[in-house]
Amino acid sequence: MINIPKPLEQTKSIRPWWIYFFRNRAATVSVIAVLITLLSALIGPTLYQRLLPIDQRQVRDGIYQDFDAINGSPSVDHWLGTDYLGRDTLTRLFMALRVSLLVAFVVESLNIGLGCGLGLLAGYFGGWVDMLISRAADMLFAFPGLLLAILVSAVFGSTARELYGGIGRLLLVATALSLVSWPLMARLVRSETLSLKSRDFVMASRGLGATQFRIIFRHILPNVMWLIIVAATVDVASVIVNEATLSLLGLGIEEPAASLGLMIFRAAGKIESHPLQVFIPAVVITTLVIAFSFLGDGLRDALDPRSR
Amino acid sequence: MSRPVLRRALSLIFVLFSVTFLTFIVSYLAPGDPIRNMMGGRQDPVRYVFLRHLYGLDQPWYQQYLTYVSHLLTGNLGYSFKYPERPVWDLIATGVPVSLQLGSLALVISVLVGVPAGIFAAVWKNTWRDTTIMGFMLALYSIPSFVIIPIVWVIDLALYRAGLPSLPVAGWGTPQHVILPVLVLAAANAGFVARIMRNSMLEVMGQDFVRTARAKGAPEYLVLRHHVLRNALLPLLTVLGPATAFLITGAFVVENLFAIPGIGYLSIQAIGQRDYPVIQATTLLLATAVVVMNLITDFAYTLADPRVRFE
Repeated sequence: MINIPKPLEQTKSIRPWWIYFFRNRAATVSVIAVLITLLSALIGPTLYQRLLPIDQRQVRDGIYQDFDAINGSPSVDHWLGTDYLGRDTLTRLFMALRVSLLVAFVVESLNIGLGCGLGLLAGYFGGWVDMLISRAADMLFAFPGLLLAILVSAVFGSTARELYGGIGRLLLVATALSLVSWPLMARLVRSETLSLKSRDFVMASRGLGATQFRIIFRHILPNVMWLIIVAATVDVASVIVNEATLSLLGLGIEEPAASLGLMIFRAAGKIESHPLQVFIPAVVITTLVIAFSFLGDGLRDALDPRSR
Repeated sequence: MSRPVLRRALSLIFVLFSVTFLTFIVSYLAPGDPIRNMMGGRQDPVRYVFLRHLYGLDQPWYQQYLTYVSHLLTGNLGYSFKYPERPVWDLIATGVPVSLQLGSLALVISVLVGVPAGIFAAVWKNTWRDTTIMGFMLALYSIPSFVIIPIVWVIDLALYRAGLPSLPVAGWGTPQHVILPVLVLAAANAGFVARIMRNSMLEVMGQDFVRTARAKGAPEYLVLRHHVLRNALLPLLTVLGPATAFLITGAFVVENLFAIPGIGYLSIQAIGQRDYPVIQATTLLLATAVVVMNLITDFAYTLADPRVRFE
């Protein structure tokens, strides 16, 4: 009788990553915080306005100046009070959250597109392609922190406003910020690609005659995906702070649009008499930053194949 | 020995080249005609051509770049658009010592706070003490400075109201003016240093020679002082470069909110006046500062760590 060996039993059950992720309490709380923020940025302003009868809604549109309630305290009309021009703080906060998240979304899209694309190319092909891309990344790395973003948004800021208005400023800020953040993504993806390139499964696939296109997109990209997701999530925290910093320095978002940095800056001088106007955006930005960093850490622990 | 040094020098030249090139290109692509702006209401074609030539703006871009670099090599950072005939250096010279003072004090304080915090957190690894220290340091690291500043102001104002000794919240000049901005600037950096220090301590504490020292009966404080600490302090040197970069971005915010006439404040003023040569020069200056800091770190590391030297 032929003894057919049974297939090996899996010694370790492969559980989906979210089991690992939700074991992390900080990460779970962060996910909830981020979801609430996203939701309130999306539907918050409309919902908040609709609570009033239609002829009074204007009071909460974030642009309307309620001259009866300049620097107002929280009230029935304005749940979180009003700012120095009598605009509703809660609506302004929603608007600022939209800006923060939109900037973060654009930056991370550019970041993933550029950083990941160029990183894959540099890591996979090596040679002069690698040389060119790595040197370009090194050039941008030479500038400490936000410095290049400050320079770019300072020089092109007024033109962006004249040509495209507020949205032009927003896109300029996003471009300037991605200019300083894609090199890091490219470097991470490049080094991961380098190590994956010489693994057995890639060799096997090449031996079976897979095209380079197939190797890159079917074998390498899925294996660096976790890294891209984690790096992008962690980066969101710094993008939010950087956007606020640029706006605070007068280089980013401008009135009448709202930004967390701008809100803090405008209210900082009156902190003694109206502390709430500073503390509301300050608490929101701190929560967001901490939530995104914990989220990134949690994702790293859950997704990194080496951490299991 | 000579090979790495040579490679280091080459990469230094490349970095400096890219810094000058990028700052030049951004300013070259800057929209608007600076000469026309400068002349304002008195548009005179002859004077326009003369001024364009004087600033070298009638040259092709590579010629302008070469001129720019050769001027830099002789210490000339260019001329201001806003105040014609005033070199940029004149405009920012007063800011350099101010920023340098602010930055170096903040660096020293952040090391003085961050290093002990990291050491104690590592020694008390995974106890409530560790969690408390590192939680506090994480808060310092992740709360943006423009959030810390209003909190500091409120505390300071409360002290003032209560008639207790308080500090000025803006300006520069007396030692009292220095304290608050330096503390705010140092806060984030201290968190960063503490994290690095804790990791480095833990790494050394897990090594064989530490276990050997313990096995030979050395008292714990001696093991920590002689075997762990001396080795764990080394990686801290590599933090100097990133820390400087960190401080520079922080200084932009701190100088502007505290109205300190440093480089960050001056360049934001210049941006308001569309005086691009000034912001170009400050960018260049600050990037060079980081490059130099990185170089110093590298050499200090080779001096401090024989393993690197003999490899």
